Amino acid sequence: MDELAIEVKDLSFRYRQTTHAALSHVSFSVPKGSFFCIIGGNGVGKSTLCNTFVGLIPHYFLGKMDGEVRVNGQSILDQSIADLSSQIGLVFQNPFNQLSYTASTVAEELAYGLGNRGVAREEMVKKVAAVAKLMRIDQVLDQNPLDLSGGQAQRVAFGSTFILEPKILVLDECTTQLDPMGADDIFAIVKRLNHEGITVVMVDHDMERVAEYADQILVLAAGSPVLQGTPAEVFGDPRLAEFGVEPPAYATVTQALAQRHLIKAELGVTKEQAVALVKEGLNHAH
Amino acid sequence: MGSGEPVKSPIEKLNPLTKMLAIFCLGLATLIYPNSWLGLGIVIVLFGVAGIAHILTSFAKTIFGFGIPISLMLFFIQGLYSPKNKTIIADLGFAKLGEEGLLYAAKIVITLLVFLATFYIMNQTTYAGKMVAALTRSGINPQVGYLILASLNVVPQMHRRLDIIKEAQEARGVETTGGLWARLKAYVPLMGPVVMSSLTDAQERGMTLETRGFANTNVKRTSYIEVTTSKADTYLRAGLIIFLVAVIIISIWMRWAQ
Amino acid sequence: MNVDKKRSLSRSVKVQSATKSLVLIPIAVGINLIGGTLCSTLKLPLFLDMIGTIVIAVLSGPWVAALCGLLTNLFLALVANPVYLPYALVSVLCGLVTGYLIKAGLFRNKFGVVVTWLVVTLTNTVSASLITIFVYGGATGVNSTSLVTAALLATTKKIMFSVFSSSMVENLIDKAIVFVIAYLIIQRIPKKFLSQYSSSLGDD
Repeated sequence: MDELAIEVKDLSFRYRQTTHAALSHVSFSVPKGSFFCIIGGNGVGKSTLCNTFVGLIPHYFLGKMDGEVRVNGQSILDQSIADLSSQIGLVFQNPFNQLSYTASTVAEELAYGLGNRGVAREEMVKKVAAVAKLMRIDQVLDQNPLDLSGGQAQRVAFGSTFILEPKILVLDECTTQLDPMGADDIFAIVKRLNHEGITVVMVDHDMERVAEYADQILVLAAGSPVLQGTPAEVFGDPRLAEFGVEPPAYATVTQALAQRHLIKAELGVTKEQAVALVKEGLNHAH
Repeated sequence: MGSGEPVKSPIEKLNPLTKMLAIFCLGLATLIYPNSWLGLGIVIVLFGVAGIAHILTSFAKTIFGFGIPISLMLFFIQGLYSPKNKTIIADLGFAKLGEEGLLYAAKIVITLLVFLATFYIMNQTTYAGKMVAALTRSGINPQVGYLILASLNVVPQMHRRLDIIKEAQEARGVETTGGLWARLKAYVPLMGPVVMSSLTDAQERGMTLETRGFANTNVKRTSYIEVTTSKADTYLRAGLIIFLVAVIIISIWMRWAQ
Repeated sequence: MNVDKKRSLSRSVKVQSATKSLVLIPIAVGINLIGGTLCSTLKLPLFLDMIGTIVIAVLSGPWVAALCGLLTNLFLALVANPVYLPYALVSVLCGLVTGYLIKAGLFRNKFGVVVTWLVVTLTNTVSASLITIFVYGGATGVNSTSLVTAALLATTKKIMFSVFSSSMVENLIDKAIVFVIAYLIIQRIPKKFLSQYSSSLGDD
């Protein structure tokens, strides 16, 4: 059995003073080192779930939680958010809400979490330099983070999270506010980190991206998991539209071609797969 | 606060705590001393300090801009109407000018000027981040440090947001002129979007602080900003304390001798 | 840590995170100062510098509101004029009074808001006048109130009365506008946001 990075057992959560549960009876697990995607329509509880992984639920948001969430084998109830930050890091949508507002340079911003841990200055300087290089923000270390572009600021947010050396990264629509190039820059880094063994849990609306990266996909609808599997399994499921998810264009196209027997009956969810299938089909036709 | 420009004067290089001690010692000494002369001397010396720090022009503007109106106002109020007035210097017809009131007003003005001047110099020559780093090292609550720095960052950001909305409104033809009620009706709704978005942002910023370990307990916080205590700092601190003690002793002696 | 210990699987969190209130403070200070900027833009002889304090009093209670008042004056002293520093005491008192009155449930209806307005105006007038008299000897010279004080003084010749009455009139108008704006803002805060604070407006 694979070791588990995250293990969710019968998790339910209802925000204070609300009548509907944001999450109800959610169970699934994320193996270590995998790239795990969570998809679904708006307001189905994806962000709530992400906040649970890092302990913001139940330690920050008020509400009623049932069930269990384990990160690297330990329950989030037994750890503070600060404790969890060395295991799991969260990056979310708005880069300017992921600044500490205590720093007047990017370098200070990156070092902020280390300062809260009492890391000595010499070590801080080394780690800041390394992370800045990884995130390609070493040119802006002396700038005020509030003056950066969205893409740069989001890389600072990434760096500030990653400098705490988590083994799991949770990305909650972390590129939605960025231009396509800024998003690609970030994903190039994410992909590299995943190859180096970091577990990635990603919520994203870009299904092409999800199809390209995901090992496993979980589909949420109204706070409950409705579907789980590999990209080919999930995007080939006929019920997908019911759950408010539109499969990547490649999947729709290859599905239509396969139905007319122009290509073999296989689902191409990524560009590469679709292109290969079409080429093969064309060769057959000749 | 100053933005930490690379041009470094000796005043800028001092440890922020030394400058805070200076505000305390010089202000308190002026307050305790029985008349205004010591305070006047300190203000003159501070003009020299402002010169060393290359901020003389703005310093002079601030001191006179504050000092002249408040002096006129207080000399008028206290000089003419203070119940302490016994020695009458001049009779203006509608009221009499009293010496005691004038001296009292002079003491208030000079004390305020010393606090203002020292505070202004510290403010202009100290990078806020460095001050908080120095305070953090001496063990203040991290929440206090957060409040100082975050206020300095958040407030201008909110003003920028307001300006953007204001420009948009003006482009749409909303007038800034007209009656009081019309002006209020045009501008109060501007605050709505800024306030609402700022409040919802606050919740996410709190999430960020938490996931960066802000709520960590029992950890001595460290900072990326280097804070040093030089020999100049040590001598200056000792000097300031000796000065304050000396002023206290002389003041007691002067009052006792009267 | 004993991971295997028997623990209830259901956990209901009622304690408000301190960080959640803390991050509101700089924003409330910003709202206070925006009110002040608005006044100078519109050339109003008012302050309107308590809107954020009232909003935060509703969300996080009297002591956080008091801290917000203190910081507002510190900030004004820092960037505008050090004259504002001693009046920090006034802002602290107003924050506390507003906070405790709201906690007592006075913000749930319009009548309660009027009562809060009057009490806060009185608190502000008395404490501000005392500071003007004891710290500044009667006038600060920074605003039009000082001129009113001087004019009254010339006719009535009583420092205490002059300072007090000129401050009272200004305050009644200022706080009336402040409370109306704050009340409107609070009505519009989304319920989902409000429910995350131990607010005194709703029930559990």
